[in-house]
Amino acid sequence: MTAPASTDIVDSAATPDAAGGGRGRLRLRKSSADRPGLLSNIGLGVVIALFMAPLLITVFTSLRTPTEVALDPLGLPIPATFDNFVDAFKQMDYLVSVRNTAVIMLASVFITVVFGALAAYPLARLTRRWTPWLYRSFILGMTLPIFVIIGPLYLLQRDLGLLNTWAGVILTYVGINLPVAIFFYTSFLRQVPIEVEEAAELDGAGPFRTFRVVVFPLLQPITATLGIFIALGVWNDLVLPLVFLRDPGLRTVMVNAYSNINPNAVDPTTLFPAAILGVLPLVLVFALMQRRVVQGLTLGSVK
Amino acid sequence: MIARRPLAALSFLAPAVIIYLVVVIYPLISSARLSLTDSPAGNVGEFIGLENFQQLFGDPDVMSALWRTLAYAGVVVVVQNGLGLILARAFFRRIRAQRPLSVMLLLPMLISPLMAAFIWSALYAPNGAVNAALEAIGLDSLTRIWLGDPTTALWAIAFVNVWMFAGYSCAIFLAGYMNMSNEVLEAARVDGADGWRRFRHVEWPLLAPALTVNVTLALIGSLKVFEYPLVMTNGGPAGSTTTLTLVIYQTIFGGQGSFGYGVAIALLLLAVVVVLSTFVNGFLRRREERI
Repeated sequence: MTAPASTDIVDSAATPDAAGGGRGRLRLRKSSADRPGLLSNIGLGVVIALFMAPLLITVFTSLRTPTEVALDPLGLPIPATFDNFVDAFKQMDYLVSVRNTAVIMLASVFITVVFGALAAYPLARLTRRWTPWLYRSFILGMTLPIFVIIGPLYLLQRDLGLLNTWAGVILTYVGINLPVAIFFYTSFLRQVPIEVEEAAELDGAGPFRTFRVVVFPLLQPITATLGIFIALGVWNDLVLPLVFLRDPGLRTVMVNAYSNINPNAVDPTTLFPAAILGVLPLVLVFALMQRRVVQGLTLGSVK
Repeated sequence: MIARRPLAALSFLAPAVIIYLVVVIYPLISSARLSLTDSPAGNVGEFIGLENFQQLFGDPDVMSALWRTLAYAGVVVVVQNGLGLILARAFFRRIRAQRPLSVMLLLPMLISPLMAAFIWSALYAPNGAVNAALEAIGLDSLTRIWLGDPTTALWAIAFVNVWMFAGYSCAIFLAGYMNMSNEVLEAARVDGADGWRRFRHVEWPLLAPALTVNVTLALIGSLKVFEYPLVMTNGGPAGSTTTLTLVIYQTIFGGQGSFGYGVAIALLLLAVVVVLSTFVNGFLRRREERI
């Protein structure tokens, strides 16, 4: 559309909002509306820089010696040293805690995904009186703050002998993540036509075979996203392992970092490398599957 | 078809239902029961009726933590979403920069709350980067001991929360922008509505669903805030950052012999989250229908 034509439309439309502006101003706006001005580019650049600065300072400071940082907190890491990482690595008992966290995370994701999908299948297909009721009681769990149940949960695990075991923590993660999994799988399956399953049944497949061969593969794209969403939550969680895992040999990355490093008593040259080590495995995953991670992060928004 | 095989359907449901009953439903019922006892450490306790709840509403520590948590949530919801909205609007017009920039802004969210608390403890330290940066640009008068001053500590922590999740709000608003039809936006532009008017009368009403999601999520998330105050200030200085979750954690697990009371405070948190999120969500959804 050319500029004169557009002003014609504006004049004939003559809305109250448009009436205030003259012809010349309107044409100016039309041409400048799509392209942001220099000033707004600079403003946006400053905001983005401020957002990223903490991350950059974290990386830079962890590569400098404590004396350098005390002299100039904002300096560059020249020459770089990795001594801080060695210290933080030891303090966090890193390899053991990464292994512990990885085991808990993978098991929680795997069990949640399988049991969530299994439950979502009949919930999506059955139309009995109790199915919407059961579905809704699962969904209620999505907004429940963990602090509401953590006291009784502690007693329950103590009585069942599950304190200080991975099984207790994994079971809890599965329980609190099942609502999210069931919500997404059920709404996904409701949009999948039923014919494929019926065809499988005509071929003589029973319900379990139909689920394994037809239904679960259909859920694959949302499974990846959901898995990342749950994995992030488990990896980054402090509360559950802090309360349920007291044995140092079983602790996760976050608990070891919290227990061994007091942020008000140590140098930034210990805190920053610890923070980097704490998120490093996730950053690697992020780099490998950026698209899925962005979907996984924003998954909560559709809830 | 699973619908014609009730036994198969039940066996599909069983694992999830059993785990959910054990991990979520049973503890929830157990909470209600324990909150009516004076159980010191979760063992046997005398039934004391609603005494815990009477005590709770007269307990200045709990009440101030409640108001503090509400103020914290209010500030986080407004600032985080305001910033997210401004960024989303800026990204919307920059089609090529949109993806890389919004991915960059999502990065802080990937960091665990504990690690973010580590990073910001160091940045806020008296000789840390925040004060150094203020001095470098000549704003020496603004430097202070951010986490050691009762007037700034809570808001310094709220800022960390905003830093982590503003990119998330931005992503949701941006999705709202992408859903707008080009014709409507083009018509508004052709009508000559200036930037602010276009935003106020065209974009803002169309962003209503994104706003509902953003406000509800930020509200629920910030009412549950725990790691930042625990790690950065442990509730101090002078109790100025003691949120409801910290009170619950300390009352239940702090060895004070007040398990039953702690569980009662946890139920207060549940009531606040459910009432506020239902109310706000309902209000915003009705607003969506009106416009």
